[in-house]
Amino acid sequence: MNFTFRRKRISGVLVVVPANERSFAEEMRNFNFPESRSLKLKEVMGYDKRRVVEPGVCVSDLAVFGLERLFEQKLLKREEIDALLLVTQTADHFMPATSSLIQGRLGLKQDMLCLDINQACAGFVIGLMQAFMLLEQESVNKVVLVNADVLSRKASPKDRNIYPLIGDGASITIVERDVADSVIHASVKMDGSRASALTIPAGGLRLPSSPETARLEDVGDNNLRAKDHVFMDGSAIFNFVQTEVPPLIKDLLARAGVAFEEVDYFLCHQPNRFMLEKLADKMKVPYARMPNNVVEHFGNSGSVTIPTVMAYNLRERLLREQFQVCLAGFGGGLAWSAMLLTLGKLAFNQIKEYK
Amino acid sequence: MKCTFKNKRISSIITVAPSQEFRFDDEYPYFKMTEAQAKRFKKMMSLDRHRIAPPDVCASDLCLFGVRQLLEAGVLKKEEISAILFISQTPDYILPPTSNVIHGKLGLGHDVVCLDINQGCAGFVVGLQQAFMLLEIPAVSKVLLLTGDTGSKQMTRENRLNYPINGDAGAATVVERCADGRTIFMDVKNDGSRHKALLIQGGGYRMPSSPETLKLREVEEGVVKCLEHVDMDGAAIFNFTMDDIPPQIEEVLALSGDTRDSIQYFFLHQPNPFIVTQMAQKMKLPPSKVPNNVVSLYGNCSSTTIPLNIALNCSELMRSETRRVCLSGFGVGLTWAAAVMDLGPLDYCKLVDYDSK
Amino acid sequence: MDKPEFYQRLAEILDVEEVKPENVLKDFDVWDSLAILSVLAMADAKYGVSVKAEEIRSVVTAEDLANLVEAKRK
Repeated sequence: MNFTFRRKRISGVLVVVPANERSFAEEMRNFNFPESRSLKLKEVMGYDKRRVVEPGVCVSDLAVFGLERLFEQKLLKREEIDALLLVTQTADHFMPATSSLIQGRLGLKQDMLCLDINQACAGFVIGLMQAFMLLEQESVNKVVLVNADVLSRKASPKDRNIYPLIGDGASITIVERDVADSVIHASVKMDGSRASALTIPAGGLRLPSSPETARLEDVGDNNLRAKDHVFMDGSAIFNFVQTEVPPLIKDLLARAGVAFEEVDYFLCHQPNRFMLEKLADKMKVPYARMPNNVVEHFGNSGSVTIPTVMAYNLRERLLREQFQVCLAGFGGGLAWSAMLLTLGKLAFNQIKEYK
Repeated sequence: MKCTFKNKRISSIITVAPSQEFRFDDEYPYFKMTEAQAKRFKKMMSLDRHRIAPPDVCASDLCLFGVRQLLEAGVLKKEEISAILFISQTPDYILPPTSNVIHGKLGLGHDVVCLDINQGCAGFVVGLQQAFMLLEIPAVSKVLLLTGDTGSKQMTRENRLNYPINGDAGAATVVERCADGRTIFMDVKNDGSRHKALLIQGGGYRMPSSPETLKLREVEEGVVKCLEHVDMDGAAIFNFTMDDIPPQIEEVLALSGDTRDSIQYFFLHQPNPFIVTQMAQKMKLPPSKVPNNVVSLYGNCSSTTIPLNIALNCSELMRSETRRVCLSGFGVGLTWAAAVMDLGPLDYCKLVDYDSK
Repeated sequence: MDKPEFYQRLAEILDVEEVKPENVLKDFDVWDSLAILSVLAMADAKYGVSVKAEEIRSVVTAEDLANLVEAKRK
């Protein structure tokens, strides 16, 4: 599904990372694998450090923290926020929506939209699309898009497929109208028939959580996982990314009449180093134009990885320069999405630590 | 937040209720009520019967059944579905989104946007807003707005405050473009500072599921619950509905240039008939314009009460004629949303029982 | 505010013959969440005031309640 937006822009990005850092070298002792094999995995996947929240920390905590930092720095005013979009898979409660909780905690105005959207790694692009659509309304001038997840809390420490790569975090992206006659092209695709590649089997209403679903089970690949834990079929996801993402981006660029060489940066979701390198190879994009260092420093924080890539790799430059970038988010759903836009100059592009 | 939309319409509505019907007269012993108490409660809340889904049926099943009926009836084709919006507080899973699961079960193509939105009683109007926004995109032809909840799974039967009034249901509403439509006016408001009026404490990430959160306790006479069940402050909800909803409805009427006279129906969310009557009186709306029988017959089914109200009371009318209506959804969040629009003639408008075969 | 009329309305809600100002609300058999809702509705419909959930939970006697409603009318 193709989308075109006009006269919209991202005006600022703030990423919140937990101060709590874990290292793969320490954690690998938990896995049922010989150390040598784990070290090989570390090298290939690019695991090193990741940031995870302390027990009890939720998405609303990270979001409130980030927004307060923006209010403090006078980069955003409470009254300006016309809509608060929260894209998350790890909500504080079943009800109310976590975006409402954030609104209440920050004392934002009543005359606004609060929306929780359940999306995984495609969630930054999808969130941006929501924001752009809202900005078509006259009464909406500023949209705050929050992407946030604390998925580490649902990863089994004994599951080497997932535990070492999950990171937690939040990003706050301010979206507004653009005075320039800018054009943004985007594309989204979905395939629910392959949804089982990335799931948490229990915890919803289909299979509610119970002592039974909390029990670790030997899932046959030397990993231990409970039905309450997140499950990822690594090879299915790998195949999915290799098959679906390149054509999506190719079609997007063709529609926009932009050549691959004209894209300054491909800012992609960061599943792990291996997968992204293979994607770059397949698309024949030089590694320098597809930054691939988020997992090794912060972990894979779902839809937050794209803004993390922006804030970590282009921190200063996005304040002073403009780039033609292609964003690509893909993962749970399964969903895959891409967006071509001009990024910069941003009013702010920060990373802050949450303690 | 105000919005306006042009050239959009609801084209079909199907609401699906579980076939299992339970009568208050049979159930009140579970609520530890004496006959006298039950009589009083039944009278004040105009209760009679409600629908409760069996253990293995989720909200998405009810919605999917509705979608299949629409496909069978020929008012919707699979290739026309450009977006699936699943509005619920009782999703199948936390991951993946339930709208994706539904997408997979329907075997749709890849060019479909799937969105799960966590909304309760304001969810039909908020969902319509989403649908209208998506329909601004040329590539989007029809949006499937699915609302559904199995609130009964978030409470015990031994809960006199919540259970007798709750109803499970799902709906599938098709939204598309039209020519020469009048403008649709909407307003949405939020107040998270009052979120405690309707809350589930445990089960999310703030208070993860554990043996402790699942422990059932009798917190007061006739109310057995655990931390993963709904907490409702009835008095606070009453204050909210009387203080905040009428001004919003006035606001949207002023925006659209409508009056109590020019609006033919006010489809208000139905927390219970008592509150709806109070609201209608306060707003000086004639009862004939405010259908108020959803709870008595089906129970309070969250965001589905509005489409169910329409299908229950006006299906024949809406299939042949056009009426100017005001929709008002309000509840958990707290969120309240109102819309003024034309409704009808609909291609399809039915209320059916769920059939698991 | 016509206090006798108020106590009469309260008596109807509480399903008793009469309510005296000094009566403690919690002592009535029927003083439950339904009764509270009815009182809130009565305050709004008959007296045009919005009594908040917290306020009604903090009154003790019928007279407290009457005074609360009266104060809000000003």
